[in-house]
This record gives sequence, C-alpha cells and structure tokens, in this order.
Amino acid sequence: MRHVGTIAGREIRSLFVSPVAYVVLTMWAVLGAFFFLSSLVQFQEILLRMQQFQMFDRLQEMNLNDELVAPFFGTMWILLIFGIPAITMGLFTADKQNHTEELLLTSPLSIWEIVLGKYLAAAAFVTLLVLLVVFFPSLLFVYGDPEIGKTVAGLLALLLVSLSYAAVGTFASSITGNQIIAFFVGLVILLVFLILSVVAELGAAQGLLGAESWPADLMRWLATADHFQRLAEGLIETRDLVYFAVMTGTFLILTKASVESVRWR
Amino acid sequence: MIEARDLSKRYGELQAVDGVSFTVTRGEVVGFLGPNGAGKTTTMRMLTGFLPPSDGTAVIDGADIFSEPLTARRAVGYLPETPPLYPEMDVEHFLRFVAALHDVPRRARREAVDRAIERCGLVEVRRRVIGALSKGFKQRVGIAQAIVHTPPVLVLDEPTVGLDPIQIGEIRDLIAELAAPRDGEPAHTVILSTHILPEVEAICQRVILIHCGRKVLDQPLTELTAGGTRLEEVFARETARDAAGTEAGA
Repeated sequence: MRHVGTIAGREIRSLFVSPVAYVVLTMWAVLGAFFFLSSLVQFQEILLRMQQFQMFDRLQEMNLNDELVAPFFGTMWILLIFGIPAITMGLFTADKQNHTEELLLTSPLSIWEIVLGKYLAAAAFVTLLVLLVVFFPSLLFVYGDPEIGKTVAGLLALLLVSLSYAAVGTFASSITGNQIIAFFVGLVILLVFLILSVVAELGAAQGLLGAESWPADLMRWLATADHFQRLAEGLIETRDLVYFAVMTGTFLILTKASVESVRWR
Repeated sequence: MIEARDLSKRYGELQAVDGVSFTVTRGEVVGFLGPNGAGKTTTMRMLTGFLPPSDGTAVIDGADIFSEPLTARRAVGYLPETPPLYPEMDVEHFLRFVAALHDVPRRARREAVDRAIERCGLVEVRRRVIGALSKGFKQRVGIAQAIVHTPPVLVLDEPTVGLDPIQIGEIRDLIAELAAPRDGEPAHTVILSTHILPEVEAICQRVILIHCGRKVLDQPLTELTAGGTRLEEVFARETARDAAGTEAGA
C-alpha cells in the first residue's frame, strides 16, 4: 500500500495545474456566498414580517440552524452533484489518453493501490471544498448564536456526502476513456440516487409496487436525501453513517473491478 | 533472463499470438520482427504483465508472470508503442514518480533520476513540461522512464517509430549503449520490436521473426546475413513461406 501516497500526490498536483480545479473552486465559493447571503436576507425578512404582524409565538420558534444553516447546506449539497463529477472525470480517463495506463499496470503495484491513490486525491479535494464552506456559518457565530453541535453535524453531512460522491465519480472515470462521458455518467448516477425515493413514491402511488414492499424500501434506503437531511438537521445516527460508508465502499470496489477488466478484454 | 513458454493470446475469435516460445540471455539484444499486426505488441504486453496470456507463461529474471507478478514487473523496464507520459508534468518530476512506482528507495531516487536524465540526453530539458517537448525528446523521456529503476530487462516497442533520421540514430546509439555500457553500469537485456530492418542490423545480435502470431524464425543475425544475404530477403522469404504453409494447411 506504499504506492497509494505516490499516486495520490501526483494526482493532486496534476489537478491543480488543470483549469477544472480552479473553475470548481471559484464556482463553489461564488455560489456559496450567493446562496448564503440570499438565505440570510430571506431569514431577516421573515423575522421582520413576524414582528410587524406581532406573531411572537412563531418568532420564538425561528432559529438560525433550522431556518438558515440546514437549508444552506442542502443547497451546497445540490451543487456538489455537479461539481464533484467535474473534479473526478479526469482521474482514470487521463491515463487512457496519455497511455500511462500501460505504465501503471506494468509497474509493481496492485490495482487497489492505483484506485485508492486516485480516490484519495479526489477525497482530499472535496474535503477542501467542505472546509471552504465552514467560513459561511462561522460568520453567524460572530453575529448570532447558532447551535454549534447542529452546525458541525451539517458539515459532517456535507463531508460524508462529498466523500461518497467522489467514489461515484472515480468509478465513472474508470469506465470510459472520455472525460465528458465520465462527467455525465457521474452526474447521472448521482441524479438517480437523488430521485430514487421520489421514484419509489411515484411507483407506490401508481400501484406498480407496494408502498411497504421491499423494492420500495430499498429505493428509499438507497436515495441520498433522507440520510443527508437527518444528518444536516443534527441527528447523527449509525444507519446514515453506514449508508455513506456502503456507498463509498461499493463504488470503490466497482472501480477496482472496472480497472482490472482492462486486462481481461 | 527472459523465457517465454508457449505464449498465446486470443481476442474472441482472433488468435493474436499462438504458442510463441523463446529465451533471451543476459546482455543480449534481440530484434522482434514481423509485419504490422503480427502480434509483436501483444507478445510484449504479455511479457510486461499488461495483458495476461490466454495460454502459456513467461519467466522474467527468475520470476513467473503469473505466480510472482510484482517481482517480474519490477525486473522489466517497458517502453510501449506510445510513450506513457503525463503532459502536465516536467521531466524530472515525472521520472521521480516512475522511480517511486518501481520501488526505488527514496534516498536513491534523485541519483537514479539524474542518471536516467543524463543517459538519455535530457539534461537541457529536465525542468521543461513534457507536453511542450518535441517528439524526439518525448521518445527519450519514454526510454528514461523505462530505465530509471535500472531493470535487468528492457522491453522496447518500436522505439524509433515516427522520429527523424538523426533522432533515430541517437536512439539506436542509446539502446546499444544500454545493452553494452562502457561505464561499468549493469548490462540490460533488450527485446526490441520493430519492422524497420536496418535497425535490427544496426543493434541486434539475434532476430525472432513472427508472422500471424507464430514464431517462424529465431537465429543469430550473423548466421542470417552470412554470405551477403540481406535481411529484407530473409524477411520476405520467411513471411511468404509461412503464409504459403498456412494456406496449404488450411
């Protein structure tokens, strides 16, 4: 496993000489700032209205975490669906274009070392994205008093969802030689996981599958939303942590199989 | 040093390589000849562990490619048909990366990279980005990445294809130098695939000719060209004979 660091280090360096990394970082920061400010302005307006109409009991229920921080994290999560496939699309496709696949596969290292090295590079980048997001809610701590526990749980949700999305993106880049295709494959897989629970509800409503049948339950479990939302609201439960671990592990195993298959074609 | 035993590769219906066996001893330079599509690249990919043979095996420096794949791969320096290069890296960093992949100890890496740079004539471009180099320099970086970990065996797939005559001469000199170094470096065993016959005459001691996936000739160069026979004639004769034999057999 000593080559994991070698592969990851090279991958990170090459990510930062490509424009993709800077485009994603810039978009992330600019859109993050925009959504944070707009939800802040909206929050203030709601408070103002409630005071005008003297809805003091409702005013008591308003809090920064549920009305501002959690929805903001939810928006950033949606951005990740587009950002992360862009970061990971080159991980394996570039090796096919540069013919370095042949170098990696004839070097004395295992396929797991290649896969984990590349994944680690992507994981480091998405961790950087999540760290950048810390800036916005920390402003609230200067001017207000949000709950620290809930905020940290929300950041954890973003981090875990990013890490599992990075595994999906890594897999997408391993099955094709074309970066654009890798991007869209990654995006489509993530979108499917996003809408799976809706599909389950629709299917149940149409009578195609029972609301309590196992396919419906499976689809609901596979959908990212519930797991993310519970964490973002500050509810840290083992079943949600397990979900993200299973997603990450499964897609890394699929990546390994896909890289290995080159040898057997 | 290299022992191929009955190497075969099938791609679905197509028998790309069919029971090729040969041995190459230490310090030998063997020319691997054949028309395009004869199975040269496939054979080399099997020797280097990129493709598993459908049948047969190979032993590289005492290590079987199936039972000890990592040891076998460590013993090989490989230049594929298209040199494997990261265009965004500079020459020095790229070679250091390759050295690390091939388990050159951290402390010895700088020296190994310096030596490869020097031997391949890359001193003036060592800090240049690979994507900005000329084709000749890229080819040399390709050879440098194959020798940076000083492997006993070198597998070079068409190392001079697409180069200009001066660059071809330089690469040939480099290969000859790697097989018989003057400065006390260990000699490399070289397998070189090509379809350029003068190249074989210039640097190889032995010729293995394959045609349609089968070995049709395995002889020292001196025997082949004894009595003034030109290699072109041998090549044409052997491939024609093999083609005739195949048809008669079918």
